[in-house]
Amino acid sequence: MRKVGIVGAGITDCRGRWVEATFWDLFQQATRRACQDAKITTDEIDSVIYGIYNDIFEHQAIPESSLTGIIGMANKPGTRVTTGGATGFYAMRMAVMEIASGMSDVVLCIGGEKATDCYDPRSKTATPMVVDTIAKSWDPFYEYPLGATASDSYMQICLAYNDEYPNDIGVPEVRAKIIEMLCHAGNRNPHAQRRLETVTAEQVMASRWIIAPLLRLLEACMYTEGAGALIFACEEKAKEISKRTGVRPIWIKGVGAANESYQPGRGGNYKRLPRIDSDRIAAERAYAAAGVKPADIGIVELHDAFVAQLMVTMAEMGFVPAGQSRRLVDDGIMVDVKSLRDDQRPPKGQVLVNPSGGLIFGGHFVGGSNMFSTWSCRREMLARQIPLGLIHGTGAINACYGGAIVLELGE
Amino acid sequence: MTHHDRNTVLPPDYDLAPEYSEVEGRDGKTYLQFATQMTTFYKQTYGEHSRFFLALREGRLIGAKCPKCGNVAVPANTWHCPICNFAEMQEVELPHRGVLAQTAPITIFPSSSFIGDAPFARGYVDVATDAPIAGFLPSRLRTTTGLVRPGIFVKGIELKCVFEDATVGCIRDIFWVPMSEVPAQLRNKQPLRASELDFASPTPPAMAVTPAGKDRLLQALEAMRQLMTKVEKSPRAQKDLQGQDAVVGVHTSGGDFGLRVANSRLHVLDALPAKVDFTIVAGDPGIFTRWVHDGSLTDAAVEGSLWLPHKEAFRLLPVLDRLPRSTRRDLHSS
Repeated sequence: MRKVGIVGAGITDCRGRWVEATFWDLFQQATRRACQDAKITTDEIDSVIYGIYNDIFEHQAIPESSLTGIIGMANKPGTRVTTGGATGFYAMRMAVMEIASGMSDVVLCIGGEKATDCYDPRSKTATPMVVDTIAKSWDPFYEYPLGATASDSYMQICLAYNDEYPNDIGVPEVRAKIIEMLCHAGNRNPHAQRRLETVTAEQVMASRWIIAPLLRLLEACMYTEGAGALIFACEEKAKEISKRTGVRPIWIKGVGAANESYQPGRGGNYKRLPRIDSDRIAAERAYAAAGVKPADIGIVELHDAFVAQLMVTMAEMGFVPAGQSRRLVDDGIMVDVKSLRDDQRPPKGQVLVNPSGGLIFGGHFVGGSNMFSTWSCRREMLARQIPLGLIHGTGAINACYGGAIVLELGE
Repeated sequence: MTHHDRNTVLPPDYDLAPEYSEVEGRDGKTYLQFATQMTTFYKQTYGEHSRFFLALREGRLIGAKCPKCGNVAVPANTWHCPICNFAEMQEVELPHRGVLAQTAPITIFPSSSFIGDAPFARGYVDVATDAPIAGFLPSRLRTTTGLVRPGIFVKGIELKCVFEDATVGCIRDIFWVPMSEVPAQLRNKQPLRASELDFASPTPPAMAVTPAGKDRLLQALEAMRQLMTKVEKSPRAQKDLQGQDAVVGVHTSGGDFGLRVANSRLHVLDALPAKVDFTIVAGDPGIFTRWVHDGSLTDAAVEGSLWLPHKEAFRLLPVLDRLPRSTRRDLHSS
């Protein structure tokens, strides 16, 4: 396989709603910025991978088809990826494969979502219809008719973890402290949806319940509209572009993915309820491919749909043992970005988690949320000279899709 | 949501008026938006799932069992075992009892299709408990002890499968209740019908009055009386209460009192009214003090520290929760 690098990135502002732009313009904005960042024109791009999660959000069954011309991808190969919350991750995996295989030298990988044009006529607000549009990712025979939603599906796993490992993610103070740190991170991301907010641990614990006892309002991700684009290139092209821009390439060191069964159960190939095995397997595969271990990683940008899930995922990815995720806070393993200078590496034994503010403070435009994570990880690795970073994506019912990518700072 | 009680798949108010309206952007410019929809109707086959849903119609629960590994697919959603190179599976009759596989989430903020149903509990039920390998059934969970709250549907509790009186062939034809709530003589009945259990008149939990509770109730009553006076002067709060009409009895560990909501006003009644629409129970009367100081009765119900008999009672809570904020906004601005 050929070596693959990231040489450019661009994201739009993350907003609760863009009335000023449809997804056409959001994708163009992100493409424009990524091309500027890499100092390339679209002529140099061989193919495009689109990450768009849900046709119902975009209100079009082949949404990427309307983008081809306006983002400069006419007459080039283009593939759309849609894998729930893990859409961005799988789109990036596809972009890596295109180049590693030799089929393309330079690939645009772009994802985004237009989520809040949805409107619920009875409550006269967007949210219940947004929730319903996501709920349509569940099957029409068993799960959807019972009223499944994304938050209670993720909480099903977190509650099961909490049954198995009490006194871990169930400790409100620990979750609230993590939120406080994520808020500090969101404050320094110029594109973050909630960059102007100040949220304290006390406010988190006083905020309204969404699902007791693991999810309060201030512990949940947002609905975001926006797009994020990355430029992937083969080694030769990456080095050439890097000379042009004066910015070091970020190499793809290892990619791992795993999807658990849709249905939970006991034994066999059923999904194991108390755990997110997909995250664990994906991370193990990415580490093995990269020849690294969790302790080598200085920065993680992970898919934090909910803070309790962030804790479980950090355990699955090996930063803390399962059942002891509270050590992220108790032992200071998760470093508060506020305690570091903008060019400072996290001290040994500590890891920077979601310096973008994550999906909770930064933004969650589903199809491109993992590109948003990569945009941030690259930015921080370059600014702080962090040798190794990790990207994580999760999605679908009960968090059953998982993906992880190890990134390496190039010369 | 099912349409058991409707003539159409979509509820009649699930629609929008055609509209092309202007909306202001962050840049101060005018943009245009249009009301539209993406509805698709289906006559969707249950296909290979049909046997499971046909069985539900008959008051039976079936799984598909692999003769090689003993895997039981619950529900019977495949007939070829994915573990055993797709060996053909056989229909097995499942017991109408099971075990909750994990503590169940309670949904407070439902999707648009389920507005009005919240709060409700869903969970995975281990039905083929004798099988070495088995799928879990996605299930609706109900209790006869009032509104669903944390502490009831916890991992490992034994559950009884209950069939709606009229079954149509839908996963909502069944739900599960804690076995401990089912009268002994009904526990082995198959199928047990919903009308054989009493969901309509739950018994409020008994509440012993304590000296500490009495002190806290006095504080709560004082706080609520202040709120009552403020509502008298607050147009926002009165608007919140518009159209609400309820007399609520409240049992606490400090004694009983009443709340009456009528004519856009809130009344705090020192004693339990003779006739109430429903009764709620709070171990700690401090819940009501915290409510007045921008806490939340809804949150108390969601946590399970405030007992409610039914969903109608739950729907009043967000209205009450708005009052402290509304009065503060009005009395600050004046």
